[in-house]
Amino acid sequence: MTDPQEVYARWLDALTGIAFVFSVLALALYLTGALTPFVAPQAVVELWRLPVDQYLARAGAPSGWGWLSLVGRGDYLNLAGICLFALISLICCARVIPAFLRRGEPLHAALAAAQVLVLLAAALNLFPGAR
Amino acid sequence: MNESFWIWPLALFALTFVLGIVAVVAGIGGGVLFVPIVASFFPFHLDFVRGAGLLLALSGTLAAGPLLLRAGLANLRLVMPLALAGSVCSLAGAVTGLALPTDLVQTALGATVIAVAALLWMSSGGENFSEESDALGERLRLQGRFVDHAAGGVRIDWRTRRTALGIASFAGIGFLGGMFGLGAGFANVPALNLLMGAPLKVAVGTSGLIISIINSSAAWVYINRGALLPVIAVPAILGVMLGSRIGARLLPVLPAPVVRRTVIVVLALAGARALLRGLGVWP
Repeated sequence: MTDPQEVYARWLDALTGIAFVFSVLALALYLTGALTPFVAPQAVVELWRLPVDQYLARAGAPSGWGWLSLVGRGDYLNLAGICLFALISLICCARVIPAFLRRGEPLHAALAAAQVLVLLAAALNLFPGAR
Repeated sequence: MNESFWIWPLALFALTFVLGIVAVVAGIGGGVLFVPIVASFFPFHLDFVRGAGLLLALSGTLAAGPLLLRAGLANLRLVMPLALAGSVCSLAGAVTGLALPTDLVQTALGATVIAVAALLWMSSGGENFSEESDALGERLRLQGRFVDHAAGGVRIDWRTRRTALGIASFAGIGFLGGMFGLGAGFANVPALNLLMGAPLKVAVGTSGLIISIINSSAAWVYINRGALLPVIAVPAILGVMLGSRIGARLLPVLPAPVVRRTVIVVLALAGARALLRGLGVWP
C-alpha cells in the first residue's frame, strides 16, 4: 500500500517538471517572436505602471478565463504556463484522496477533498468578490 | 522586439536568480524579499508585483516539495488542515488586497516587512519540539518521526500541541500572504515550531509545502483578475527556480548567519522604502 506522502511527492515532481519545461518553451517562443503577442511590447512598457483594472481597459486584455481564446499568442501562451503551476497542488490533492481512503484515513481524505474544492472554486473564479 | 522592453524583465531574472540563492541559504521565502524590492525599485504597478510574488513563492516551493516530502522534512498530514485554513483566508486576503487603495496596501506592506525583519532578528533559531499531543492533533494524527542526520542521526518522535490555535494562526498568515503576495514562510515556521511544537527542520520543510498550496489559491485570484503579467512573472519564476537550485548546492559552504543578517538589513531597507512610498513621503 503506497503512502499518500509518496504519491503526492511523485505527482508533484512530475507535474512541476512538465510546467517548468512548458514555461521555458513558451518563453522562448515569446522571446524569439515566433508567436506574436496580443499586447505589443511597447504598449506593455507604457501600461505596466497602471493598476490592473486600468491596464486591462487600456490594453483591451481579457480577465477570467477569457485568455484561453488567445493562447496562440506569445504572451498568453506564457500565461498558460503560469496556470499549469497554479493547477499542480489541486491535482496532487485530488490524487491523494484515494490513497488516504485505502489506508483507512477518511478524515485526511475529506481534508484533501475540501482543499480540492477550495482550489477549484478559486480557479473557476467562483469565490465571492474575486471578480 | 523593442530593446528597452527587455531591460526590466532581464533585470528581474537576474534579481530573482540572486534572491533564489539568498532565500534558500537564509531559510526564508523569496516572495518576502521580491515584493518590497521590486515594488520599490522597478516600474511595475504593485498589483502585478504581488501577483508575480505569489507565483515566485509558489514555483520555488513546488520545485522543492518532492525532495522535502521524501526526506521526511515535510509532513503531508500536518500540511492538510493548515493549508486548508490558510488557502481559504488567502483567497479573502487576495480579494481584499486588490480592492484596497494601492497607497494603503503599500504602507501596510512596508510595516509588515519591517515587522518580519524584526521577527527574524529576534528569533533564536533554536530547537523546540513537542513529544505530547493534544486531542485534535491526536485525532488528525499530526505526528511523525524525524531523523536528524546533521546531528549524528538523532531520532525525534514529535506530535503537535495547541493544534486549534495553530490552525487559526495559519488562517491569519494566509490572509496576509494573499493580500501582500508573500509566501509567508517567515510566519509559518515560528507557528509550526514555537506554537505547535514541530521540530525546526520539519517546520521549515512543511512550511514550504503549505506555501505551495496556499499560494495556488491566491494565485488564481490574481490570474482571474488579469493581474499576472507573464513578462513579469515568467522571468521571476525561472530566475528563482534556477537560483534555488544553486542555493541548495551552496547551502553547506556559505556562512548562513552572515547571509541571514544581510537579508534582515535588505528587508528593513525595502520595508522602509515601501512604507515611505505608501505614505507619500518618498514616491
